[in-house]
Amino acid sequence: MNYRTFKKAGIAALVSVLAACSSGGSSSGGSEVEAVDAKEAYGCNVLNVYNWGEYVGEDVIPNFEKAFNAKVNYDMFDSNENMYTRLMGGSAYDILVPSDYMIERLLKENMLQKLDKDLLTNLDALDPDVVEMQKVYDPTLEYSVPYFHGSVGLIYNTQNVDPAEIEEKGWDILLDEKYKNRVIMYDSQRDAFMIAFKALGYSMNTSDDKEIQEAYEWLRKVHETVDPAYMTDEVIDTMINPSANNPKDIAVVYSGDAAYIMSENEDMDYVEPKQGTNIWSDGMVIPANANCAPLANEFINYVLTYDASYDNSITVGYTSSNLKVTEDISTGDYEGIDAYLPRTGYEKDEVFRFNEVLVQKLSDLWNKVKIN
Amino acid sequence: MKSFSKMVYPYVIWAMAMIVAPMLMLVLYAFTVKGNSVLTFQFTIDNFIRFFSDPVFPGVLWRSLKLAVITTVICIAVGYPSAYIIAKLKPNSQALMILLITLPTWINMLVRTYAWRGILGHLSMSGELKVYIGMLYNFLPFMILQIYTALSKIDPNLIVAAHDLGANNRETFRRVILPLSLPGVVSGITLVFLPAVSSFFIPKLLGGGQYVLIGNLIEDYFISTGDWNFGSAISLIMAIIILASMYFTRKLDRKVGEQEDD
Repeated sequence: MNYRTFKKAGIAALVSVLAACSSGGSSSGGSEVEAVDAKEAYGCNVLNVYNWGEYVGEDVIPNFEKAFNAKVNYDMFDSNENMYTRLMGGSAYDILVPSDYMIERLLKENMLQKLDKDLLTNLDALDPDVVEMQKVYDPTLEYSVPYFHGSVGLIYNTQNVDPAEIEEKGWDILLDEKYKNRVIMYDSQRDAFMIAFKALGYSMNTSDDKEIQEAYEWLRKVHETVDPAYMTDEVIDTMINPSANNPKDIAVVYSGDAAYIMSENEDMDYVEPKQGTNIWSDGMVIPANANCAPLANEFINYVLTYDASYDNSITVGYTSSNLKVTEDISTGDYEGIDAYLPRTGYEKDEVFRFNEVLVQKLSDLWNKVKIN
Repeated sequence: MKSFSKMVYPYVIWAMAMIVAPMLMLVLYAFTVKGNSVLTFQFTIDNFIRFFSDPVFPGVLWRSLKLAVITTVICIAVGYPSAYIIAKLKPNSQALMILLITLPTWINMLVRTYAWRGILGHLSMSGELKVYIGMLYNFLPFMILQIYTALSKIDPNLIVAAHDLGANNRETFRRVILPLSLPGVVSGITLVFLPAVSSFFIPKLLGGGQYVLIGNLIEDYFISTGDWNFGSAISLIMAIIILASMYFTRKLDRKVGEQEDD
């Protein structure tokens, strides 16, 4: 049973009721976006969007299509690398939503075009803290607009794990034999090695062979001590509905997924380990070979509106880059769910940088970690 | 008839574009270094050295072969008696049984494997066992159908004749039925072993990510790591193994055929 779909349906119904109640006559784009006919204004009305799976609100795309009389082709990817591979294969998109380090890479490889600031009238709505993070991968702030952001941490069942213990041990709780067969590790070399580097007190952006080797050994030790299951998106359902015979107590998750899990299962709590973690941000960019760049700029501007940002964030559970939305949701629907507001300004937290040498070195090692 | 032979051209073109050309590119990638430009290639065998110099990769290959062999053997052990029993039933019941066996294959394999995940996820058994259950479930119908087809084609008069000549049931089975049904077993092996050795989503979904096979490795190097050259090298090693096993199965098939002629 997919609870998220169910919840989405409920929200969709609610939103449509609200829309019906709101004053008639206003266009569906809301007051912050000036609706135009895309074909008349820009000569093209088809927009190819490539975003993460389960990463958009129920009504964002239909409302955009209505407001601009446009057609959106919406494709989904499940990893930055997957998206990059598809781009290399020659696919043309107008909008991409990659993560920080991938934006850095695309920028370096001249695959992005500058955004049109004249069309982006809603940039003021952005959370200044998020813009600060954006400067790491997009120093001139000319190529991307933040979409969601968050952290990586541990979600745990408060019935079986002592909150004080997990706060105290942080990532090292993954080495505790007590939790054998009860741990889920995120099945991605980038995130797994990030944890190891942080647990050992190193930077996640290191290229030092000795540190990499130590991180490998740390992950091997986790593999041998707690025999974790390696999962990606399946974590969400596994933690919301723990199975009777094979429950998992601790899982590595992204903060947005944690917020969603906590809203569905009140036994769960989220911790950002004291050794530091990855603070990430996904941003909207326009590839250099986009077919309909002006409309793509309009789309980015549209996503920044309060209504669209709210719809996105409440449906998916990730933290909006629209400051007002984040404030309203963290004091509204997601009140008390600390995972919705990721930690900011902690000195041990880091943003991922594009580091191809490291990726190459880690790929063989990560497979070795998982092989018995 | 001759005019019809032109109808093969669309297939030849299709095969060239969709099978031969990608295979050639795979070979090219496997023997070159990363980051070649379109015009210049730097050839290397480092990708293969990398595969065989680290015991991890041959270990994964060995595990994949073992999984495929064991799956095939269990499929024969379970599938042969099932097919034999079905072939002995009344024609109507036979049709029903075959329908029941084919019925699940109407649903996509991926969907069925997800269903198994739901079932097995609640049991505390090793990931390896779950993978074997999933493999057996997915591939068994192919084996049963092949053997059943071979068995049902056997002329009943041959069995009557065997009895007539004094053979008891066991001898009849050993000297008449079994040899005549072996071609079915051989094609069953082809249909089970080859997909089993390269399967990657069954172990991925049922093994909890803890069970890495050669198919998972290839997927990983192409998609997550973006190291197409090493991924191609692994694929090529796989392709050679598959070609070799096809050659041997074909040889076995021919040998069985010769026995029949004796």
